[in-house]
Amino acid sequence: MILYACALGLCLTAALVALLPARAVTVAAEVITALAGVVAAVAGARATLGHGWSAWLPDLLPLGGLRLALDPLGGLFTAITGAVTVCAAIHGIGSGAARATRAVIPLFVAALLLVPAADSVSTFLFGWELMAMTSLLLVAAEHRDRPSVGKAALWYAVMTHLGLVTIMCGLCYLAAGATGDGFDQLRAAELSPAARDVIFLATLAGFAAKAGIVPLHVWLPRAYPAAPGHVSPLMSGAMVNMGVYGVVRVGLDLLRGGPVWWWWIVLALGALSALYGVLHAAMATDLKRLLGYSSTENMGLVLIGVGAAGFFAADGAGPLAALALTAALLHVVNHAAFKTLLFQAAGSVQRATGTRDLDALGGLRTRMPYTTALFAVGALCASALPPGNGFVSEWLLLQSLIHALPASGVAGAVTMPLAVGAIALTAGLAVATFVKAFGVGFLARPRSPAAERAAESPRTAICGTALAAAACLLLALDPALVLPALTAAVTRVIPVGRPVTGEVTLRLSAITGSISPVLIALALAGAVAAVLSLVRAVATRRVRRPARLWDCGAGPVSARMEYTATSFAEPLQRVFVDALQPESAIDVTVVKESAYLVQRVRFRARVPDRVERLLYEPVLAAAVRLGSQARRLADGSVHRYLSYGFYALTGVLIVLAVIS
Amino acid sequence: MTDPVYVQALDLACGAFLLTGVLVLWRRDLAAIIWLFGLQGVALGALIAVRGLHEADVELTVLGLGVGLLRAVLLPCLMRRALAAGDEGREARPHVSVAASLLVTAVLTMLAYAVSQPLVRLAPTPATQAVPIALTVLLVGFFVLVTRRRALSQVVGFLLMDNAITAAAFLTTTGVPLVVELGVSLDVLLAVLALQVLTTRMRAAFGGTDLDELRELHD
Repeated sequence: MILYACALGLCLTAALVALLPARAVTVAAEVITALAGVVAAVAGARATLGHGWSAWLPDLLPLGGLRLALDPLGGLFTAITGAVTVCAAIHGIGSGAARATRAVIPLFVAALLLVPAADSVSTFLFGWELMAMTSLLLVAAEHRDRPSVGKAALWYAVMTHLGLVTIMCGLCYLAAGATGDGFDQLRAAELSPAARDVIFLATLAGFAAKAGIVPLHVWLPRAYPAAPGHVSPLMSGAMVNMGVYGVVRVGLDLLRGGPVWWWWIVLALGALSALYGVLHAAMATDLKRLLGYSSTENMGLVLIGVGAAGFFAADGAGPLAALALTAALLHVVNHAAFKTLLFQAAGSVQRATGTRDLDALGGLRTRMPYTTALFAVGALCASALPPGNGFVSEWLLLQSLIHALPASGVAGAVTMPLAVGAIALTAGLAVATFVKAFGVGFLARPRSPAAERAAESPRTAICGTALAAAACLLLALDPALVLPALTAAVTRVIPVGRPVTGEVTLRLSAITGSISPVLIALALAGAVAAVLSLVRAVATRRVRRPARLWDCGAGPVSARMEYTATSFAEPLQRVFVDALQPESAIDVTVVKESAYLVQRVRFRARVPDRVERLLYEPVLAAAVRLGSQARRLADGSVHRYLSYGFYALTGVLIVLAVIS
Repeated sequence: MTDPVYVQALDLACGAFLLTGVLVLWRRDLAAIIWLFGLQGVALGALIAVRGLHEADVELTVLGLGVGLLRAVLLPCLMRRALAAGDEGREARPHVSVAASLLVTAVLTMLAYAVSQPLVRLAPTPATQAVPIALTVLLVGFFVLVTRRRALSQVVGFLLMDNAITAAAFLTTTGVPLVVELGVSLDVLLAVLALQVLTTRMRAAFGGTDLDELRELHD
């Protein structure tokens, strides 16, 4: 508890220090924030290992007071937030962000720490709103430099506050049925099934919006590119997790599970998000937008796990539920690690080249060698291939789904194979996505002058990114390291034995299955070494002689002949043409004298977000129409405005007179 | 004060209160409107003082005198000064004609009586039975605000509403604390001063105080 309080205190100190005018303290705020991250990570880890605590500070908030408690589940998310904060803060040292931005970041971290430690509805909503407000300020930070930022911030503000409203409605309804708003009292509440359904669906909508789940994901690919370089890792690595935390806390803990159909919805939303997210990530050409859609994909995978866990728990298959939830939480940890790494690398690229457009990047391998290597690690982890860390959690998830067949009747027999298929397709597309991001963005030749002029990031930025990469590698080779924390968090909500055991080799206790990431990595390394030495042995028999690359006789190879991100994704776009419905327009201008002589051909292609087009644009258009019609009500006449009040008052009085 | 006398005096004050309020709608001469408003202030002061005398409450009686002074002397004085500064003696053609206004007032009175029945039923005393009158004057004040064009009539409409609220407060309770009444009265004084400044400004900018000129300001 003291550690947790220290972390919050350090965050506030950092915010104050950042506001000081002296130049000497420009680094201090980030250093203090990093320190706060370390302390928070330790506090969270201690909570997962059984040193939980609870506190009630009645004077800090009106009405209910500030009620805090850190149990293993909250501790896990606190630890993740702390770890991400350390990396992001180190990466942000010397980033040259505005003073206000640097002051808000620690407050954002404090809000992120507050949410998983909240132990009452009012405290939770307070933390949630603080998190929404501070993150909104950070998203809008660069609105003067780029016009798109203001629009992104507007989208984010609307979505996050709609989410807050539904969460608030759900939790307040729950608190109204209980004896108080403390979480302990909510757990003891006796509610009718219909009320529980309403509460779950309302909170699910809000939490899904925060986690970037389809169809509530629209803010995510906008907000991440808009946010400053070292803020997107915090948002993607720490903030979206809070959506998952909310679903687990409310659905599995406060409401103690529910009917099977709740979890079908969660599972279906997860599968839809995973597929939709990865498809759009594969199509994206903006590096941060790509990573944003990839967040939607990974949160979708996590929700598949959470949904499966709830499904099994409702079905009475406790050990399987625990395994699925362990897989989901492990994926949260892994996603936080590799997404922090990737966003930091993307931020470095943006700082070095001034662009995020993959079609204009390339050739960074020689100019930014460290960033390239680190991004490669992140891309490997994100594409869920061994020996990356994403592989372990997805494998666990698949195991829990595959072994559900005998246990869970007809419904499970239909649902689970579909979910397995969705995960498999997602994993395959993720590989294509990150091959594209890495290959087009970092290898080959530079496609624009901006990419040619790129220079390696400052040492602190590389340090922060390397720290995240080290975490990724550690998680990839030794996931057993975080196993005790995960087990504690899972048993907090699904009290069965340890679902996964083992040190080097992970053994599943409910079903037969085991995996040893270290051995897989060693075998892979051995195989690669063997193939390389074989190739070298064969190749060195011939005499080497330098020659020009074959270029079909079309002159020297230039950057224009390379694959771009768009062309790399084109085959996939063809395969999924029905799902994506891409738009293209060809604009031919001919010479005046002859229709056969073309002066200029312009080709434009775009992959629009269909959910946005079908779901949001009609609503927005209707709102705009309504607004412009409502303007007629206000024509500037004072008498008219006064008469509105008069008519309303007399109208209410007439109604009162009639009904009384 | 004996009970029959008290009831008669209270009804007289309330009747005067209502009548002056309605007559404001009838007259178009601004000076007459101000005069009527002053009379209503007297009626309001008398109403409070009568209640104070009946309950032998010195504080309430003094308060009645103070309210009467403020609303019958000070506020009309301020308005007369504003009127003298300009050269508009009469109300411009109102949005609703005088005859129609008086008819509307009749309807509003019935509405007020219908709505305040539950309030009266809570504690049927001579004082609470006069609550519908306060509500009527409130609605009449609002109606003046909506239909009259000159800034000065607007001020009177606003003050009618405030008079009505004060009357309702004193009719339903056994007396508002002095601090609250002082605060409210000061607020009213401030509002009138602000409106006077606004009137002067409007006259300087548009050459008149017809509120419809302000329409040009909207975006």
